[in-house]
Amino acid sequence: MATARPGWSRRAQYGLFFSFLAVIGGIIVGLFLLALSLVAPQQYQAVRGAALDVTGPVAGGLREVSSTVKGVVTGAGNYWDAADQNGRLKQENAAMRRQILKANAVIQENRQLKAVLDLRKREQDTVAVGRIVGSSFSSPRRYAILSVGSNAGVRPEMPVRAPDGLVGRVVETGALASRVLLVSDRASIVPGRLLRGGRPVIAQGRGDGTIDVHPLEVGRNPFRRGDIIITSGTGGLYPPLVPIARVVKLDDDGAIAVPLADPANISFAIVEPPYEPAASVDAQTNAEGP
Amino acid sequence: MVRAALATKRRIGRGPTPFAAYLPAASVVAASLLAALPIVATNGWFPNFGFLVLLGWRLLRSDPWPPWWAAPMGFLNDLITGMPIGLSVTLWSATMLALDLIDRRTMWRDYWIEWALAALFIAIDQWSQWRIAAAMGARVPFSAMAPAIAISICMFPVSAWLVSRIDAWRLGR
Repeated sequence: MATARPGWSRRAQYGLFFSFLAVIGGIIVGLFLLALSLVAPQQYQAVRGAALDVTGPVAGGLREVSSTVKGVVTGAGNYWDAADQNGRLKQENAAMRRQILKANAVIQENRQLKAVLDLRKREQDTVAVGRIVGSSFSSPRRYAILSVGSNAGVRPEMPVRAPDGLVGRVVETGALASRVLLVSDRASIVPGRLLRGGRPVIAQGRGDGTIDVHPLEVGRNPFRRGDIIITSGTGGLYPPLVPIARVVKLDDDGAIAVPLADPANISFAIVEPPYEPAASVDAQTNAEGP
Repeated sequence: MVRAALATKRRIGRGPTPFAAYLPAASVVAASLLAALPIVATNGWFPNFGFLVLLGWRLLRSDPWPPWWAAPMGFLNDLITGMPIGLSVTLWSATMLALDLIDRRTMWRDYWIEWALAALFIAIDQWSQWRIAAAMGARVPFSAMAPAIAISICMFPVSAWLVSRIDAWRLGR
């Protein structure tokens, strides 16, 4: 196909022509597949799950190596400034202890109030615990690969959290691994509220590891640097009171925040069932695919 | 410069490696598999490794593989990297076709022209990823793609060099 004519050989000319047709056929097939993945992405669930099962465990094995190397490097770094760090940590520790006392008192009061109201405590059980073993590299989308799959009971549309905060939600599952849409992806919209004051906000990813937060009601910009955003439980997918992000920069009508659970550093991620399963069935029927 | 002048001295008794015809395609799939590395990136600035190697091969030779192989290789890339299925199939086939058409027109080639062509195709690749992501509900400003495009363009010479080394090895030069 490189030159216009490979010489006088009829056979070579035909070969060239048919390979030309084959490429055009490839483009047509590709466009068809692409259209299908735009309108009906769930068609690919099986084949994508199989691919995840092949690549996921590989990444998981290699992850051990890379986290060991990273641990050695950061471990050495921690010794650098040890005296200063020690003083700072002591201060933080004292402040933390006071806060814990306060929080314990609040929990106790809360329990009493709930008992008075006769509210049943909603059981929030864990589906599976896995590790983040990889991520999407080269695209505007932010996905992570989780080391547990449908064998462990993971299903699409389940929220994923880490001890530090919300990670995202499952979008595809293989038997051994699953793909998680991170909260920093543009298509991830999490209803939340400000920890300070409780104003409802919307947290939408920016595709570059940060999150856009906007207040639901128009008015004065309610954010301050250092504010913590937590989930509100609205919509029924994500459980309430899970920390999402910390505000780092204000802009015109909202702020830019950084996720509290950094997917590169969390040691394990917890998959939970959807907070209110009935709501997530609706969400699944009109969900945007990956 | 005559290419033979650049070759090593030890050439007697060395021929092509047994799977020489399949090595180019295998190297593209291997590059796609880099996406299975356990790196958790918070921004998508890594290059599309499979595409870089594909461009490297296609710009080095006109026939590294039968052109229609681009479609299955793209399908594997889609599966491994988690891109929407069909994106790489379309794009890689279209790249093969476009480069064949370009080959008819260009009278001469040098490294700068190859790099410029690669830059053009990398930009098209990133633009279509961005466009498809927008169609799937993840509309980010296109300026957010600029670092990814710049990094990929800067990475192309590395992949071209690597491909030329693999090519020399597989042909026993």
